[in-house]
Order: sequence, then structure tokens, then C-alpha cells
Amino acid sequence: MNCPTASHNPELLVALAAGELSLDRAQEMERHLAECPPCRIAAAEQAAVWRALDAWDAPPVSVDFNRRLYSRIDQGAGLSWLQRLAHAFRSMPLRQALPLSATACLLLMAGLIAYNPIHPVPAAPNGNIVRANQVERTLDDIELLRQFNSAGSAESAHPDAM
Amino acid sequence: MGAVAITLDYDAELMLRVKEGDGGSFAILLEKHRASVVHFVYRLVQEQAIAEELSQEVFLRVYRSRSGYEPTAKFKTWLFRIATHLALNWLRDEKHERSQERLDDVTADLPARQVSDRRPSVEQELVYEVRLEEIRRAIAGLPEKQRAAVLMHKYEEMEYTQIAKVLGCSESAVKSLLFRAYETLRARLAHMEPS
Amino acid sequence: MPCDFARSAILSICFVFPILTPSLSLVAQQEPRESVQATPENAIDRWNRMSPEERERELAKLPPARAKLIRQRIRRYNQMHPEEQQALRQRYQTFSQLPPAKQQVIRERLREFRQLPPARQPVVHREVQQLRRLPEPQRQARLNSDDFRGRFSPAEQNIIRDLSTYLPD
Repeated sequence: MNCPTASHNPELLVALAAGELSLDRAQEMERHLAECPPCRIAAAEQAAVWRALDAWDAPPVSVDFNRRLYSRIDQGAGLSWLQRLAHAFRSMPLRQALPLSATACLLLMAGLIAYNPIHPVPAAPNGNIVRANQVERTLDDIELLRQFNSAGSAESAHPDAM
Repeated sequence: MGAVAITLDYDAELMLRVKEGDGGSFAILLEKHRASVVHFVYRLVQEQAIAEELSQEVFLRVYRSRSGYEPTAKFKTWLFRIATHLALNWLRDEKHERSQERLDDVTADLPARQVSDRRPSVEQELVYEVRLEEIRRAIAGLPEKQRAAVLMHKYEEMEYTQIAKVLGCSESAVKSLLFRAYETLRARLAHMEPS
Repeated sequence: MPCDFARSAILSICFVFPILTPSLSLVAQQEPRESVQATPENAIDRWNRMSPEERERELAKLPPARAKLIRQRIRRYNQMHPEEQQALRQRYQTFSQLPPAKQQVIRERLREFRQLPPARQPVVHREVQQLRRLPEPQRQARLNSDDFRGRFSPAEQNIIRDLSTYLPD
């Protein structure tokens, strides 16, 4: 093999320290190191660097990392709407704004009465974990029951199975 | 189109589902890559709070860009490209004064223990702290691209081609970055006794 | 001007609130439609009450294709009309209270029913419903009649016999 030190090709030395060489290649390299003091020193130094870097553990990620991220995702979606609307109405004179805001409030009240918004279901307590295969079996059973009952109607069963 | 069959990695498939509106797939990607990204950014910027802030920004960008996502590279490559870009930008904005302040303050942002749960003696703790500080200084002393290349190669075990795509350079350029970085690190760290 | 901005903010909230309420949020996309909780919770109800992280952790244990299919099926279930969903939940609730052996018989017969030609399904369904309304002696007499055997294949006869016996209302 070409001497890595002499050929200024440290790739093999780095790969050896990183454990990236195949068994045959690593053994070939070890044989070379036995005969080549400069490479032997360089390999030892590279291995020492590798061990030193191994000792550098990063701190654990905060437990509320996900919560904060999702909060930022949600806020990001809302703020963009607010920012855009605030900008649009910024220069509106009061005589236009008052009837508009009154209309908006009436629409809001009508919407809240008529519309059935999605209410986030409170999270299950920690012990209430359901296995995915349990859900799958329930879905299977419900779909079987649904298809049977659908067959009794004048139309055929819904093409989109659950 | 002369199509070449591309086998999507699983993460890219998940990201395509995120593109379709599947929030659950985003949660899976987050669980899978969160620690890698945070640790990588931490070792780059060497401040945990900043690392988490920047890492959140990484995932925020991933999420916000979902509608335009195209799997032109491995998902991890794309993810680390965003992370490297944000971290290097932060480093440049903070310049060297902040780095110097951080290195002078040995206790800054240093968690009580960064290794496993073994209970060391006071002397061992001191030796550990000194070693850790040398490692941190050695890494911080590298030019930014060399630093990023070493961290991806060492801690993420990424191949040269992948690192090249993250850094936006050729594979030979990555090898050059890495080998110069390791040469520097050998000079600074090879004297350290094994623990 | 602060007054203009305050006015704009109030107007914005009036317009934005009904839009935000259905939620653009990642978490809210996962939540089911509100349904009448008149019947006890089934596994899907409990699944919907888990956090997104808990759900994904469970799904990650399955092969990706299967996990994807489950997600799609849950989404379709959650998107059903509330009345239809409630009716299904009640039927399932009754079914799930049967002894496991009976549940298994019903499952097998329903799967066989599903395999019937589409034109035969309403006919078999109608026969099951009619038989279920009959007192037991009359039901048995009909099942054993030549007319019954003449109108239905052996496989259909099995389906009708078991479903009319075991399928709850």
C-alpha cells in the first residue's frame, strides 16, 4: 500500500481511527503501521483525537422542546393572519371601521351559534395508552358492521372503506 | 424525461406525507432527528440554550416549507443543511468576541455532567472538566466549515458525499476540510491522556 | 398611531377569531370531530384522546405501510358525520359486549358477507333482518325450508343463519 504519510493522504489514517475500513483493509493498514513509524505516530494521534471527541457528550435535549416547538408552529400560523389583517385595517377611517366591526361581530356571533367548532379533546391520562393493533381491530369490526348495514340501503356501500 | 429510479429514504417518504398534511409524520421525524440536530448545533455553537433555539428554528423551517418539499436529496442531508446554515449564520453574527467570552468562562453553559451517570471523585471531575474544555476550545478554534465537517463526520457518521451536499461543496473539498481539521486537532488533542 | 393600531387589532381579532377557531394548528388537525359521547369509549375514542406523540410512538412500532393505513382509516372515521359515527359506535358497543366466541362468529360471517357479489348483498341483508324479527321457532322453520335453501347458496345460508342468530341490533 501507499504510505499515507509519505503520500500526504491521511484519509486511510482517519478511516482507521473511525473504524470505517473493512477488515482486510484495516489489517493491511496495521501491517503498514508496524513498519512505518511516521504513520504509526499519526495513527496513534488520530486515535487519541477520536477518543477525546468521544468523551464530549452533548447535554440532553430539554423535555419541553417539542411543546415549545409546536407552540411556535401554532403561533406562527396565527400571527401571520393577525399581522396581515392589522396592516390592512391600519389606515381605515373610523366611519368605515365602525359599521364593519359591527357587521363582523354579528357574523362572529352567528358563526359561533351555527358552527360546531372542533373542540380539542383533553389528552388521555398517561396510563391510557391504546396499542395501534387494538385500534386496527376496532376499525376492522366497525367497518364490517358498517358495510353490512350499508348493504341494506338502496345505494351500494360507500366506496371508501375505513 | 430520462428517469433514474430513485429509492426514497424512509424519512423523505415521511416528509412527503407531511407535505400532504399528515402531522403525525412530522412528529415521527421530529422524534427521530431532534437529538441529532440539537447535539450537532450545540457542538457548533457551544451554548445549549442557543442550540435549542436554533434547532427549533430548523424544524420550524422544515415544517413551514413542507408544501414545496421535493426529495432531491436524503432528508437528513436537507435537515443538516438547514441546521448548518442557521448555526454558521449565528456564529458569524456573534463573531469571535462571544466565542472568546464563552471560552474564558469555564462554567458557562456547562451542564453539571455531560457523560453518563457515574459518580466521579472531585479530582476526576476536575480532570474531566479540563479535558472537556480543551476539546471545546480545539473545536471552537477550527474554521467554521472545518468545524461543521468534523462534527458531521465524527458524531453523525456522515459520509463525505453527504457532508459535501450539506456544505454545498465537492467531495474532494470536504476531504480537504476534514483532513486539515484533524491535523489541527491532532496537534491540540493528541497529547491528552486517555480517561 | 396607537389608537389606529388598537382599532385594527380589535377588527383583526373579530375577523380572525372564527377563522382561527377551526384551528390551523398542527395539533388540532389531529383531533376528531366532536361526537355525542352517549356510549362508552371504544379503542378509537381512547386513541383520539392520546397525545400526538403517544399515537406516533405506537404507530412507529408497526411497519410503515400498515401505520399509514391505520392513520388514513382513523382520519376517515373521525371525519364521518357525527350521527353516522354515533350510530356505528352504538352498534359496535353492543357487538363488543357479546362473548368473544360469538364476536368471532359474527366477524367471520361479516367477512364472508363482504365477499358476496354486490347484487347478492342486499338480498342476504334483507333475509337476515327479516329472520331476526321472527320468533325462534318460526326462524328455524324458515331456515330449514326448501324455499330458503332454493333461494340461497350454501355459503349464503351459513351467513344468514349465523348473523340472524348472533348479530345484535
